Amino acid sequence: MTSRVDAPLKVTGQARYGADHNFPGMAYGYLVLSTIARGRIVAMDVTAAKSAPGVLGVYSPFDPLELHAVSTPMLGETWVPLQDDQVAYYGQAIGFVVAETFEQARDAAMLVEVSYQALPAATSMADGMATAEDAPPSRDGSPSSLEILAPGVESIDEAFAASPVVVEATYSTAPQNHAAMEPHSAVAVWGDGGVTVYSGNQGAMLQVMELAAALGVGPERVHAVNPFVGGAFGGKGRTSAPAFLAAAAARALGRPVKAALAREQVFTATAGRAATVQKLTLGADHQGTLIAMRHDSWCSTAMDRSFVEPTSHGTSREYYATQNLALSQKIVPLNLPPTTFMRAPGEAPGSFALESAIDELAVALNMDPIELRLRNNATAPVGKDLQWSSKHLDECFHVGAARFGWAQRTPQGRTDGDWLVGMGVASALFPALRFPASVEITLRADDTAVVSTGGSDPGTGLLTVLSLVGGESLDIAADRVTPRLGDSAYPPGGMSAGSTATASASTAVMIAATQVIDDLLGLASAPDAPFHGVEVSYEGGRVLGGGRSLSFGELLRALDRESLSATGSSAPGDEYTKHSFSSFGAQFCEVRVHRWTREARVSRMLGVFDAGRIINEKTARSQIAGGMIWGVSAALHEALEFEAGGRPANADLAGYLVPVNADIPDIDVHFLRYPDTLHNAVGAKGIGEIGTVGMAAAVANAVYNATGIRVRHIPITIEDLLID
Amino acid sequence: MRPFELTAPATVDAALATPGTFLAGGTTLVDLMKLNVLTPQHVLDINELPLRGIDTSAGLRVGALERMADIAAHPGVYPAISRALLLSASQQLRNMASIGGNLLQRTRCTYFRDVAMPCNKREPGSGCPAVNGANRMHAIFGASEHCVATHASDVAVALVALDAEIRLVSEDGERVVALRDFYRQPGDTPDVENDLRPGELITEVHVPRKDWAAHSTYVKVRDRQSYEFALCSAAVALDVQDGRIVDARVAAGGVATVPWRLPAVEESLRGKPVGLASFEEAASKAVDTAELLAGNAFKASLLKRTIVRALLELTEGGLR
Ligand SMILES: Cc1cc2nc3c(=O)[nH]c(=O)nc-3n(C[C@H](O)[C@H](O)[C@H](O)COP(=O)(O)OP(=O)(O)OC[C@H]3O[C@@H](n4cnc5c(N)ncnc54)[C@H](O)[C@@H]3O)c2cc1C
Ligand code: SF4
Repeated sequence: MTSRVDAPLKVTGQARYGADHNFPGMAYGYLVLSTIARGRIVAMDVTAAKSAPGVLGVYSPFDPLELHAVSTPMLGETWVPLQDDQVAYYGQAIGFVVAETFEQARDAAMLVEVSYQALPAATSMADGMATAEDAPPSRDGSPSSLEILAPGVESIDEAFAASPVVVEATYSTAPQNHAAMEPHSAVAVWGDGGVTVYSGNQGAMLQVMELAAALGVGPERVHAVNPFVGGAFGGKGRTSAPAFLAAAAARALGRPVKAALAREQVFTATAGRAATVQKLTLGADHQGTLIAMRHDSWCSTAMDRSFVEPTSHGTSREYYATQNLALSQKIVPLNLPPTTFMRAPGEAPGSFALESAIDELAVALNMDPIELRLRNNATAPVGKDLQWSSKHLDECFHVGAARFGWAQRTPQGRTDGDWLVGMGVASALFPALRFPASVEITLRADDTAVVSTGGSDPGTGLLTVLSLVGGESLDIAADRVTPRLGDSAYPPGGMSAGSTATASASTAVMIAATQVIDDLLGLASAPDAPFHGVEVSYEGGRVLGGGRSLSFGELLRALDRESLSATGSSAPGDEYTKHSFSSFGAQFCEVRVHRWTREARVSRMLGVFDAGRIINEKTARSQIAGGMIWGVSAALHEALEFEAGGRPANADLAGYLVPVNADIPDIDVHFLRYPDTLHNAVGAKGIGEIGTVGMAAAVANAVYNATGIRVRHIPITIEDLLID
Repeated sequence: MRPFELTAPATVDAALATPGTFLAGGTTLVDLMKLNVLTPQHVLDINELPLRGIDTSAGLRVGALERMADIAAHPGVYPAISRALLLSASQQLRNMASIGGNLLQRTRCTYFRDVAMPCNKREPGSGCPAVNGANRMHAIFGASEHCVATHASDVAVALVALDAEIRLVSEDGERVVALRDFYRQPGDTPDVENDLRPGELITEVHVPRKDWAAHSTYVKVRDRQSYEFALCSAAVALDVQDGRIVDARVAAGGVATVPWRLPAVEESLRGKPVGLASFEEAASKAVDTAELLAGNAFKASLLKRTIVRALLELTEGGLR
C-alpha cells in the first residue's frame, strides 16, 4: 500500500493550484452574473464601475472581449461568455470587471447596473414534463427509446400482463452541483510563444483545444498547466468562464489576469447535474425471475440541450437478465444552468430508481433483496450477445453479506434505544472504458525515471498510479519514478473522465517502458558502447551482458547522456467487439432514524467491488470511500433548490448541504481482485465513479427497512419521515 | 464589499465615542460585508476591549467578547448553554465568534443574504419573497406578512430559556435587559431586530442561579449532524422533586423570528410527574399559535417531537 505521492505537498499547503500562481503586474477579474432566468440584456450601465478605484476594464455583451465559438470533437460545443445579449438562466456570466486588486474588481462588479427585458422562463421540471422531448440519439447512434422483447412477445405491455407480480413507481432525484473545493479559476499570461493558462481541469489537452478555438489562435500557442486540481468530478471537463475571460482579458490588457468564481457563482456559472424523474415497472414470477422491465426517464437540460443524463440506458440495460425490456429517455429543456457530466452521470441517479424498485419488488415477493438480485444475475447486457469479460457480482454479494452481518437483518428492521435501525443493499455497475493515451518515460543519468502525460489527478491517485506502474514496468522501485501530470507540454493521455485514467494511462506506461528499455539496450550494445558485441538484457533497472551489469544511470553516464526518452501510446482495440466490460459492486448500509425527531443517519456502510486489478489499495480505497460519501450525500443531503424565478435558493456551502465528518461512519471497502486482462494489459478497470452508484438506493432501502416508509425521491429529509 | 475604514478603540469609552459598526469575531459582519448586505463605512474592532471573563460563582457571568468555544468548554457552564454552543457552527467558527456577536447574528434567510433580491429586513418596503418562496427554514411563530425569517442563534434559545439578561452600555449609561425582552418580532419593521440603541455595546451576559438551570439540556434537529443551523431546537430545564416537576423552562429555536419561550408548555409541565405522558401532553401545547407556511408546515410536528425528545433526554428517558 503506497501513500499518495502528492499528499505531503497537499497537507503542507505547498501544492500550487491554478489560482495560486502569481505574476508581476497581474490584474484581477471578477464576473458579473445575470439576475433573471430568461430574456435580453437591454443595457448595462458601467459608468460607476469604470470610474471605481483601480478598474482597468469592464467587459460586457456591449463591450465584449474577443472570443470565438468553441467546438471540439471530444466535448462538442462549449459556450463562451459575453458574445450576445441573451440570458438563458439565472447566474449566467454577463460581465467581467478587471482591476488592480481582487477587492477592487469585486467592488466594481457590484456597481454594474443591468437592465433586462425579461421573458417568461421555464424553470420547473414538473411543469416541463408535459412537453418533454425525446433525447437525441446517443453517441453510438442508438435511439432514445428501445424495446427488446422475448420471441413471440408482441409488446412490453403483454409481457407485464403475463407477469404474476408487477411493481410500478416513480422516483425523482434532485439537481446537484459538483461543489468542488477549488472554485473554477484561472491565471492567464501571454508571452512571445502565446498564452499560458494555469487552471484546474480534467485534461490539459482539452483545455488547449477549447482555449485555442476561443482565442482564435493555433493550439501550439496555448500552454495549459494544471499540476494540481482541487476536485473536478466532471465539472472541470469543459473550459470554465473565468478561464476564457482571463485569457481574453490578459490579451486585451497586455498583462497577466487572474479570475476565480466566488463560491456562490460556482453554483450557476458552471454546470451541474440534471434533475431526473424515472418511472420503473418491473414484472416477475413468484420465484423472483424478472419477466419484464420498463424504465422511462426524464432529465432536465439547459435550453441549448447540450447534455443528457442517461438514467435508463445507463442502468437498466445492464443490471438484470430480463427477458423483455423497454427503455426511454426524454429531456426537459429549462432556463436553468447547464447540466454536464457529474460523477456517474446516468448511473448514479438511475441506480437510485432501479435499485429502489428492485427492493420494492423484493418486498412484494417477500424475498430477500440479495436473493432476488442473484436470481436475475446477467451474463451480458440485455439484448447483446457480448458477455462480460469478467463478472463476480455474485461473489461481491456473498462476501459483503458475510462482512456486513446481513443475516441479522429482518424485514421489519430493529430498534436500538431511541433509534430505528435498518439495513439496505444495492448493486452497482459502471462501464469499463479506455481512452487513447500517450505517455513519455524518461530514464535519467541519476538512475531515476520520469513518467509524464497531460491528464490530471484531481485527487484520484493517478500520480501515485503512474509512479507504481512506472516502477513496475521499469522493474525499479516506485520511489525512483517521478510522475508528472497536468501540462499540455506532455503527451496527451490520462484524462480524468469516465473512470478511465488508470486503465488508459497504465497501458501506455507499459508500452512506453518496453520502448525505452529497447532503446536503452540498443544504446548499450551500439559500437563504442560498454556492451558492444555482447548479448544484453534488462532487469531491475540494470543492463546485463557479458557477465557484468550497469544500472541505466551508469550506462547513460558512460555514454555521456543526461537522459533517454521514449513515448508509448495505447488505445482501445477490438476488445469491445468481443466482450462487454464493467466494474461491479455490492453496496450495503445501515441507517438509523430517530424515533422522535426522524433524522436519518448512516451508521455503517460497506462496499465490495469487483473492479479488476487494484493497483494501489490505499488510494483505491479512498476513491471508493469518497464515492460512497457522495452517495450518502445524494441520498440524505444534496439538492440545488431552484426557485420559480430560476434562482438557486441555497447557493453556498452553508445552504447546499454535503455531509460533514460527523455524518460519515467508518467505511468498509473490500476489493475482489480479478485482473481483467481482456480489457487491458494491466488488468485494471475503473473505480472513480462506481463507489457512488449503488449508495443512494442502499440508503433509501435501509430507511425503508428501518421505518417502513418508502421515500421515492432524494435527498430524503426529516419531513419525509415524519408521520403523525 | 465596499471600501471601509477600520479602527481599534482601546477602551469602552473610546468605542462608544466613535461612530461605527462593532467588529467582534467578524463571522457575521465580514460575511455579510463580502455579500454587500452590510456596507459600514467605519468598522470598530472591539477585540481589545476588556469585555472578558467567565464566572460561574453566582449563576453565570460571561464577558461579551468571550469566544463560543471557550464558554462551551468552561466547567460549570449550564448544560443547555454549553450544549447549544457546541452544537453551533463549526469548531473554527466557535473559536472566532463571540457570545455578544452571536446574540446579534443576522438571519440566514436566503433573500436577506442576496442583494439582487428584495427583502424588507435589508431594504424596508422592498417586499418579502420568502412568504411565497423558499421558506423551509423559516418561522412558524412571531412572523408577519412583512418578514418570516428565523433568528438563527442556538445559544440565544438556551439563554432565553434560562432567563438570561444582558448588560448594555452606551454614552447614556448602562442598563440591564432580559434577553427575552431584548428581541423584537418583525411586525411591520423587520429591519428592527432588537432593542439595541445606536452605538450601544453589549458588555456582559448573565444567567441567574436557579435550581433548574443546572438540570437543563438543548436538543438540535438539523439536516446534517454538524455545521448546520437548527431546523428545530429545544432548550429545556426542569426542577424535579420526588418525581414531580416543580418548575420548568422551555424555549424553541429554528421555528421563530426570535428565541421563543413556550409558557404554555412550561405551565402544562408544572406539577406533573416526570414521564412520557406528561411530556407529550405539554408538547402538544407548543404549536397552538403556530402559523405554517408551504415549506415549513412539518415544523409543527417536529417541534412537538423535539420537545418530547429533549425532556426525555433530560430525565434519562422519563419513566422508561
Ligand atoms: C457557516 C456558519 C455557520 C454558523 N452556524 C451557526 C449555528 O449553527 N448556530 C449559531 O448559533 N450560530 C451559527 N453561526 C453564526 C455564528 O455563531 C455568528 O456568526 C457568531 O456568533 C457571531 O459572532 P462574532 O463575534 O463573529 O460577531 P461579529 O460578526 O463580529 O458581529 C456580529 C454583529 O454583532 C455586532 N456586535 C458584535 N459584538 C458586539 C457587542 N459586544 N456589542 C454590540 N454589538 C456587537 C456587530 O456589530 C455585528 O453587527 C454560523 C455562522 C456561519 C458563518
Ligand atoms: S423573511 Fe425577512 S429576511 Fe427573509 S426575505 Fe422576507 S423580509 Fe427578508
